[in-house]
Amino acid sequence: MQRLILICFASLYLTTGCAQSGNYLKENYIKMDTLIPMRDGVKLYTVIFIPKDSNGTQYPILMERTPYSAGPYGNKSYPGSTGPNAALMKEHYIFVVQDVRGRYMSEGVNLEVTPYIADKKTNKDVDESSDTYDTVDWLLKNIQQNNGRLGLHGVSYPGFYATACLPGAHPAIKAVSPQAPVTDEFIGDDANHNGAFFLLDNFSFMNYFGKERKGPVKDYGSNIFNVQYNDAYRFFLKMGPVKNSNGPQYYNGKSYIWNEYLQHDTYDAYWKARNIRQHLKNIGTPTLVVGGWFDAENLFGALRTYEAIATQSPNNQVQLVMGPWTHGVWGSGEWTKFGTHDFGSNTSKFFQDSLETVFFNYHLKDKGQPLAHKVTLFQTGSNEWKRFAAWPPTQAKPTPYYFDQDGKLSSTAPTNKLGASNSFSEYISDPNKPVPYTNGVFRGRNNEYMVEDQRFAASRPDVLVFETEELKEDMTIGGNIVANLQVSTTGTDADFIVKLIDVLPNNEPASKTPIRGYPMAGFQRLVRAEVIRGKFRNSFEKPEPFVPGKVAKVKLQLNDALHTFKKGHKIMVQVQSSWFPLVDRNPQKFMRIPDATEKDFQRATIRLYHDAKNPSSIELPVLK
Amino acid sequence: MKKVGLLLIAIAACCLGKAQMTNEDSIWVREHYNKTEHLVTMRDGVRLFTAVYAPKDAARKSPILFNRTPYSCSPYGTDQFNPRLYTTYWINYLKMGYIIAIQDVRGKYMSEGDFEDIRPFNPTKKDKEIDEASDTYDAIDWLVKNVPNNNNRVGVFGISYPGFYATMAALSSHPALKAVSPQAPVTDWFQGDDFHHNGAFMLMDAFSFYSGFGKPRPQPTTEHPQEYPITTPDNYNFYLSKGAIRNFSALLGDSIRFWNDLMKHPDNDAWWKARNTRNFVNNLKPAMLVVGGLFDAEDCFGAWNLYKAIEAKSPRTDNRLVMGPWFHGAWGGRGDGSFLGNVRFGSKTSEYYQQEIEIPFFNFYLNLQGTVSDIAEANIFFTGQNQWQKLKQWPPAEVTYKPLLLKGGGRLSFEPNPLFKPADLAKRPVYFTQYTSNPQKPVPYTEDVHLDRTREYMTDDQRFASRRPDVLTFTTDALPSDITLGGPVVANLITSITTTDADFVVKLIDVFPDDFAYDAAKDGKGIGKEYPMGGYQMLVRGEILRGRYRNSLEKPEPFTPGSITPVNLTLPDVAHTFKKGHKIMVQIQSSWFPLVDRNPQQFVDIYHCADADFVPSDIRIYHDARNQSKIILPVLNK
Repeated sequence: MQRLILICFASLYLTTGCAQSGNYLKENYIKMDTLIPMRDGVKLYTVIFIPKDSNGTQYPILMERTPYSAGPYGNKSYPGSTGPNAALMKEHYIFVVQDVRGRYMSEGVNLEVTPYIADKKTNKDVDESSDTYDTVDWLLKNIQQNNGRLGLHGVSYPGFYATACLPGAHPAIKAVSPQAPVTDEFIGDDANHNGAFFLLDNFSFMNYFGKERKGPVKDYGSNIFNVQYNDAYRFFLKMGPVKNSNGPQYYNGKSYIWNEYLQHDTYDAYWKARNIRQHLKNIGTPTLVVGGWFDAENLFGALRTYEAIATQSPNNQVQLVMGPWTHGVWGSGEWTKFGTHDFGSNTSKFFQDSLETVFFNYHLKDKGQPLAHKVTLFQTGSNEWKRFAAWPPTQAKPTPYYFDQDGKLSSTAPTNKLGASNSFSEYISDPNKPVPYTNGVFRGRNNEYMVEDQRFAASRPDVLVFETEELKEDMTIGGNIVANLQVSTTGTDADFIVKLIDVLPNNEPASKTPIRGYPMAGFQRLVRAEVIRGKFRNSFEKPEPFVPGKVAKVKLQLNDALHTFKKGHKIMVQVQSSWFPLVDRNPQKFMRIPDATEKDFQRATIRLYHDAKNPSSIELPVLK
Repeated sequence: MKKVGLLLIAIAACCLGKAQMTNEDSIWVREHYNKTEHLVTMRDGVRLFTAVYAPKDAARKSPILFNRTPYSCSPYGTDQFNPRLYTTYWINYLKMGYIIAIQDVRGKYMSEGDFEDIRPFNPTKKDKEIDEASDTYDAIDWLVKNVPNNNNRVGVFGISYPGFYATMAALSSHPALKAVSPQAPVTDWFQGDDFHHNGAFMLMDAFSFYSGFGKPRPQPTTEHPQEYPITTPDNYNFYLSKGAIRNFSALLGDSIRFWNDLMKHPDNDAWWKARNTRNFVNNLKPAMLVVGGLFDAEDCFGAWNLYKAIEAKSPRTDNRLVMGPWFHGAWGGRGDGSFLGNVRFGSKTSEYYQQEIEIPFFNFYLNLQGTVSDIAEANIFFTGQNQWQKLKQWPPAEVTYKPLLLKGGGRLSFEPNPLFKPADLAKRPVYFTQYTSNPQKPVPYTEDVHLDRTREYMTDDQRFASRRPDVLTFTTDALPSDITLGGPVVANLITSITTTDADFVVKLIDVFPDDFAYDAAKDGKGIGKEYPMGGYQMLVRGEILRGRYRNSLEKPEPFTPGSITPVNLTLPDVAHTFKKGHKIMVQIQSSWFPLVDRNPQQFVDIYHCADADFVPSDIRIYHDARNQSKIILPVLNK
């Protein structure tokens, strides 16, 4: 959820730049800032843009609810643009942007990923659903030009607020588009993946976002603390255990969200209350879920929000779009290349013109046709858009690829050949020398890490590498990827990172994309990666220690992919036990990690078994 | 050694077209110089191909600058001019009327005879016996007698392999030879130059170079040999996937004589000693100017140590040393020497060398003009402070050798470790640091995926290595004041390993402060690419020792597994200031790939062992008062 802000700023700059030669929004819309009262009396700051040409014409409302400020504030202060995309702005809608409860100019108290209250008893029982309901109600009654229909949209954290309107939705809400929605912060979105804490992003994000306020503010002022570094790997290693992040020079207890994160290190009531998926039952509102395959923040949220609605709502009208995108770039003007990828077409323009605009126009204006396909996904590797009637596709066949001796990855299970029983690969995971998540020196997260060449990791002794022979024909996977590891460790806890990689052939020409000239022959392109904190292998609620030296099963679900491994490529899997500083270091000792001190961090020897008794595999959803 | 050869070819290729047509200097050279080509007969009747560029103006007598090369004196043909004459500082010599002679050495390109790599000097040759010194003698003799209008004063210079031929020229003792400048001279291919460092085999350079250069040349030719066509742009992957050295021998076949010799002589035996020029530089007659680069990936050792050998064996010789912040040959017209990789030097050091040192040197001895009083005994550029220092000797007399002690927790300090009373032994801190060296996952010598060995690795950011579990790092606190080093660095490691052999790589690193940034006005613009310099870990010097040679390069010895063993290693000299606020870091690792071949970590014949012989080894570096590993620094503080 962090990056979006940067993108917003960037697009603001762009559009403000354009504004000098004419701000379309300012020329065509009247801006009105107002405070809308909720059922408990708290007033939310709401910015409304009404088309100037509304001589009796009725328009639908398109609303975004945001924790990142609805500003600039004041009836005369216009942003460069508003709404999901420029085409919709020119279509003429009534656009509404609202500061959510407790943020910026709205009254009340903000809660991190506000829990949904299913059985509201009094007017004091408020949540994002009720706030949206009350806002919609007010808008329908007070903005005369509305046509009685309303849509919601939002990317990242605002994506969560879009999702959050769905349970108990106001009947006038006719179209919702949660995009990269924050969905489950313990299992797969920004804060944690399978219980492993995403240190790098959150440490910098909460420095600004996690700041408390005394009442409504236009500006939160300076960050909680000021710190200078340009090598995140070294900075976080030097900072030491996560506990030190609350030291006097850093958070010092001043961020309520940061404190909550450190307090809740299991999938407890705090996190479960913040899993919106459980409430996405019987959702009939037309919903377009959007996400990016290279979204480092909310790839999980997009896939799982779609899944939750699709599987828990018999009469659902949910649709899914996934493109070759990083966080939020589907809203940018052009997206044809990324890292060493060249997608061959402008994927963001395609999305805006042919999917997003069509979706809102149809449901809110009765204009045009509905989106024809349940699922529209960009297939990486072959670089083409594909349509599916369901996701994951029913024709996908889970196909195990087994880890084997000598770094082989094979479609046949290991057999106990003479002397081959008790076969394993082994490495030492040293928390003082964690495996970098990216190659090079970066201050913030290297946004390209999700498509990065993994050769820097393959050369390390603490990264296991398994690969197939060269593929004899194209192989496309579509759907869930599951790693079944059988491991032992000399410690009592360990992280496991599994990376699925597409190895390009040795005759691949050098890159012509932004990283011009990069040697692509033998390039180890990351397709999908995921981490699990080992103690959660059986339950996220009840962590369990490993018994040193004893084989344990660790099952890890990676986020979905739709990818073609081309003929002549190889499929590679890397396994490692750190991914730093993207993820905080596991002390490799069973304990509450936020309480760990320097001396708790220990080296561990980790084995990955690959024999007939304890086979390890990765299950790929192979499409015919 | 390789790159200059390639460079000349590259210059020839790119300059022949455009530069020759448009470069003002090229037009001037053609208007004022004639080129002639000659087969000069040696004492044994073999004829060496020699190109002579002489001024058309016959009014005055000129000195001869002579360069002997195995990389071809091309372009061939009297109407084809060598682009170095007008695209480099050589134009200065031409403008002063120097005669330039370039000769293909015996057995290479258009010269007759048989080539022998680093042909041994024969101090007792008789009659028609030859070596490179006699070939130079005969060539000089012919030049002074046959080139019109020469002043009977000859200078020889050459970079890299031609630097070796310059050293050999100095041994010719021809009376007309007045001045010699061996530059990055190939000097000792077992101890420190291109193909071995302390017995460790420099695989990547040796294989790529000899796959082309080492091919037989049955008769004179103008054609360049082709190197082995490596089909992947990823050298780490290529060299690792090929495995043991014998697999590389198989790729090359049996026709590459010098490769075969390398495989036959794993130790510093009599064969190598005959090829170590330092053993022969007694009582040299000409004035000597030894030149080298502090960051020369190929022959840094040769420059430092040839100078020292001449000092020791020719005490009366006018012998001077120049070391600048240069990659291989940077001083000779490749770039301006103001930066290397990410590190900046603040001034155009190559131009300084050419105009203030080399040209005055030759002018004084060959043209009897000017003075050499401004050229010091040792002219050394100190990086860090980015200043030339004119010194009376090298290493400077003021140097004190101070041990920097390795300590637990990755610390490095001048303070001695406390001695523990027997009663306190249980309380003493961890006294070794351990890593596992796995030959299947060798430590890369540099960070990026690429094919050709980079020249920048010598100043590269070592942060990529610091992050690895098989690289130990030891770091001082931020320095309270500048520390300047001038001289050799010695590592005294106390080790134990679980196998019978291992390599030890020691890297001396300057850690820049976290808020460090270059100032373009003061430091220069550098390479023009953004790089995060805060916290930069600049390699100042790295060196490797193949552990079996720890006591003797002649007689390898196995390690006893688990037994505490001292390993001493001398790093080539450094000239560097660690500035106040910087830190000194030492990294220790046991591979440096594919710069250096992998050690199987067993005491086996490395050049003929099998892939299965490569095994992991657990390596300990001890650092307590009893077993104190340390780095001895040549500290030059006022």
